[in-house]
Amino acid sequence: MHLRKLSRKNDDIVKSECGCQLPDIGSVIAAVDEVVKYTGREKDKVILILQEVQKRINYLPSEALKRICEVTDITPGQISGVSTFYSQFRHLPVGKHIIKICAGTACHVKGSQLISESFKRVLSIDDSRNSSPDNMFSIEEVACLGCCTLAPVVQIDGKTYGHVKPTQTENIIDNFLRSHDKNVEPEKEEDGKSFEAEVRIGLGSCCVAGGSKEILSKLLEIKEGFGLNIKVKPVGCVGVCNQTPLLEIVKPDDNHFRYTNVRKGQVEEILLKHIRPGSVNNRFRYRLNDLADTFLSDEKQRSPINLPGNIREKYLDNFLKKQIRLATLHSGILTPDSIDEYLLLGGFEALKKSIFLQKPSDIIEIINQSGLRGRGGAGFRTGLKWRISADSPGSVKYVVCNGDEGDPGAFMDRMLLESFPYRIIEGMLIAGYATGAADGIFYIRAEYPLAVSRVKDAIKQCYEKGFLGEKIQGSGFTFNIRIFEGAGAFVCGEETALIASLEGKRGTPHLRPPYPAEKGFMEKPTLVNNVETLALVPWIINNGAEAFNEIGTEKSKGTKVFALAGKVARGGLIEVPMGITIGDIIYNIGEGVAEGRKFKAVQIGGPSGGCIPASLENTPIDFEQLTDMGAMMGSGGMVVLDDSDCIVDVAKYFLTFTHKQSCGKCTFCRVGTKLMLDILTRLSEGKASLMEIDELERLGQYVKDGSLCGLGKTAPNPVLTGLKYFREEYEAHAKGYCPVKKCRDLIKYTITDKCTGCTKCSQECPVNAIPFRPFEKHEIDLTLCTKCDNCRIVCPENAVEIADINDQHNNR
Amino acid sequence: MISITIDNHKVAVKEGDTILKAAEKAGIVIPTLCHKDGVEHYSSCMVCIVKDIKKNSFLPSCSAMAKEGMEIDASGEAVIMMRKKAVSMLLTEHRAECEAPCRIVCPAGYNIPLMNRMLTAADYEGATNLIRSETAAEELKCISCKAYCENACRRKKIDEPLSIRNTRIFIYEHINRHVAADKVIDNNLKPVVQKNASIGEEPNLRKRFFSKTGRIEDNELKEWLKECSGDGTRYRVIDDFESASKEAGSCMHCDCRAASNCRLREVAESLSLKDPSGKIVNLPLAKKINHRSGLIFENGKCIKCGLCVRVCEDSKEEPVLCFINRGFISVISEPLTEEFDNTLITQTDICVSVCPTGALAKFR
Repeated sequence: MHLRKLSRKNDDIVKSECGCQLPDIGSVIAAVDEVVKYTGREKDKVILILQEVQKRINYLPSEALKRICEVTDITPGQISGVSTFYSQFRHLPVGKHIIKICAGTACHVKGSQLISESFKRVLSIDDSRNSSPDNMFSIEEVACLGCCTLAPVVQIDGKTYGHVKPTQTENIIDNFLRSHDKNVEPEKEEDGKSFEAEVRIGLGSCCVAGGSKEILSKLLEIKEGFGLNIKVKPVGCVGVCNQTPLLEIVKPDDNHFRYTNVRKGQVEEILLKHIRPGSVNNRFRYRLNDLADTFLSDEKQRSPINLPGNIREKYLDNFLKKQIRLATLHSGILTPDSIDEYLLLGGFEALKKSIFLQKPSDIIEIINQSGLRGRGGAGFRTGLKWRISADSPGSVKYVVCNGDEGDPGAFMDRMLLESFPYRIIEGMLIAGYATGAADGIFYIRAEYPLAVSRVKDAIKQCYEKGFLGEKIQGSGFTFNIRIFEGAGAFVCGEETALIASLEGKRGTPHLRPPYPAEKGFMEKPTLVNNVETLALVPWIINNGAEAFNEIGTEKSKGTKVFALAGKVARGGLIEVPMGITIGDIIYNIGEGVAEGRKFKAVQIGGPSGGCIPASLENTPIDFEQLTDMGAMMGSGGMVVLDDSDCIVDVAKYFLTFTHKQSCGKCTFCRVGTKLMLDILTRLSEGKASLMEIDELERLGQYVKDGSLCGLGKTAPNPVLTGLKYFREEYEAHAKGYCPVKKCRDLIKYTITDKCTGCTKCSQECPVNAIPFRPFEKHEIDLTLCTKCDNCRIVCPENAVEIADINDQHNNR
Repeated sequence: MISITIDNHKVAVKEGDTILKAAEKAGIVIPTLCHKDGVEHYSSCMVCIVKDIKKNSFLPSCSAMAKEGMEIDASGEAVIMMRKKAVSMLLTEHRAECEAPCRIVCPAGYNIPLMNRMLTAADYEGATNLIRSETAAEELKCISCKAYCENACRRKKIDEPLSIRNTRIFIYEHINRHVAADKVIDNNLKPVVQKNASIGEEPNLRKRFFSKTGRIEDNELKEWLKECSGDGTRYRVIDDFESASKEAGSCMHCDCRAASNCRLREVAESLSLKDPSGKIVNLPLAKKINHRSGLIFENGKCIKCGLCVRVCEDSKEEPVLCFINRGFISVISEPLTEEFDNTLITQTDICVSVCPTGALAKFR
């Protein structure tokens, strides 16, 4: 696809067809010049410049690219290559609001494709145009928004909607247009005052999506209204992401009362149960106002207070019991954006211990002895990596925190960055001290705006308190940190590609050695560590290598943070010791599979990992065991599949992802994944032969052996494990049917005799495939049906069923 | 110096040398496509793949550095299999034909595209010599032939096939007239009887590897038409060189410019590949772009080795080719901000010389 040709041709079309205002050349030039003034004009600034320009003029017209070349050192070739490599950059204008539809794994298995189609239908967006006719909305499918427990998720201009159904799309658009996102600022803390209780409310992305901002404003309103003597405290992610928002009341005697799934209407009841109002007067006055509201709204729902306490908290206890908090220490207690609180809870102790009491080589030794391995996926020994970097000659060295978490279905790094920014900064400082680096770079993916702003804020506070900059805490150690926002390329999670991206190039990996620890960013030794790895460092320094060593299995030490999502009853973010079994996680922490279905498999490690069948649920999880099973630790996404999920569909989903995200450099990955995907697509359409399954397996092996970097080497894993454990399902597709009736080309919708003729389905059908015949059994015109699933969702009698397309019995 | 073993040969190389270099030293030939001495390695084609026996893993020898004690398998069965797979994968996205269809189907293997080119360029003597050399030992076979060439001619899909048979018969008769005339009057046009081997004649054409395009979309046919010089007037009857030349101007030049010096073809031949297995769905359309300097870029033939990008120096004064897009849809292209004509002012020839396929070539 020649984007230039496309954009040029379309410029005219867009103008004439919808009359939308394209920025004139003058304003484009002004915008570019303004941006370049504060970004600088060096070649490695290209991604930042493009991001800033796009923020101002919504897309990147070729005039803007031209102007950037004129006023900076960036060449035409570089800017063209870079701006088309990263998915964040647009070369065509888009609508005023962007609807981001999450296509992460958890969302995919919960039907995100149907949501996307529904939005396109409602907004009359098709392949020929990229925004709605009124230019208000554009749709963008994004790899993962990291809100997997709320799947399927849709985000409109930063406002997140969870658990979306295809029938709700119109309501969501209405709601968005009506809503004015009120930003509530938590009150300033009054020092030295004693409170009757502390009320904690989660403000992680999942909680915000679940409505915690509204709860917060309600809390403050009630506090004011009743004159309650409480401290309202926003905290980071607790990990109970599917039960958001989570409200916790802590009494001075350390009694905890937790409420999950709190609704706005319940806040008052909950608060008043635990806390005395300030004065009768206050209470009466507030009550009176509130009474009017109650009549007007039906927000008062079934009260959670009436549930016995043990049921209410049992789930939370189970969820939290099996976990060990190292990287996520103080989860649910710590306010994410307060350095004072971090210090109060022992923050930066490890740093002080390191810079004042230890030699750099001793710190490396501690990390080495702890047995810590990189949490980014491959599990390279962290101590060894630090040593290579420390031993590499040169006075200029870098530490990079790899927060380019791209796995669809994983959100550990996002949560750690959002909730524990100081801990990661501390880990980075220790790494810098140990390896002799004075510069640190946070590489955070662009889809995590909250994480970026939290880290930005944390860095600022660290500078103010003397934890960053020259002579940290009076020592001789100097360290500076800056943030680099990724631009949307999964492959940049690979460290050599990440460095290319930092340097303002296309994010293509190269063969190691030379390792980045020897020759990385700007040809200087660069230590690249994952967010979670760095978050574990302060704990290890504080508690010693031995304490860390005691947790875990022989070769994999410590804990691992997993993002548990998919068809599990209680999803969320968990930190568990290595060696815990898959079954333990799913049944005890996750409380089994949702909706009473059967546990079929678990996809560990995202697109690099594999599908592990239920029969292996007693296998302990560590790096080696997972690799032996054909999967991989990956970054720690864990998506549970139940017996309604199709293995071929899941494999096709992952391969579509890796194929799209492949950088296109080496033959095996670029062409091989395409050839594999072609076979999988034919399989899901029932067009492939049994022979092609063997060919698929062979191709998978070639791609695995021949690819240049980790992305290609692991891309076939979902297919190969699928073939290993669920071959009969592949064979069924080759024979023309989908055993779980998921693949759209192999199913059809039918209405059974249970139908009462209520016409709901007929009204909901977007293509009028169900004739409106009240009190008669409805029928679906299969030639019109688009399989959007709406009729099945709205049917009150469950009379709409999915049948095999070749099923003659239901063919009428 | 470090010592490594390649195919049981011990070689001593400098530290930092690649396995490819070590193999060269040991006299072992490893095929390459995206590699060029003196240009920074890139490792895209994976044709130079070798096996590290100790680690049981495959490495691209052009960028993998030799390490002390390494044992390398550079020609084992598994390695050859990987190379074959790499090349056949490249061929599945290589939308190109090594030879023109008219020449492939010709029972006598006459070089029809070359004749057409000579006629178009009004090189009547060259064309005459070519046919004379092709018919040196025997009669012209076209007279009794059913003109398979015209049946295969791609021009047929646009309007009607080129009048190849009539053209050849006209030239053949022209030669015979002159030969007959020679005997009567001593003409200074001397008959050339001996075979002229210099005119693009390759031995064993039948045994060579042919890349195939598969189905050609209508849009792509238009791309092929770009090279026609004629105004579209067709001449069914050929009675003089002028009409032959005008008719030849409608030739779409389906044969590849790099037919005899294509590295991809050579590697495919050396690995005795016949036909790439597996067809790719939704392959991007092949395009031809003409440059004012006579450079023609056919993106369908490109294997994305990036050599043309890497050998050129990118600057604002002289924009060069670059990669556009990511992954399977990535292509080599002019920068988004430039027209193809404004790129590559002084660096055209070096681009053509490094291209391992016929993707970048000069107009003949």
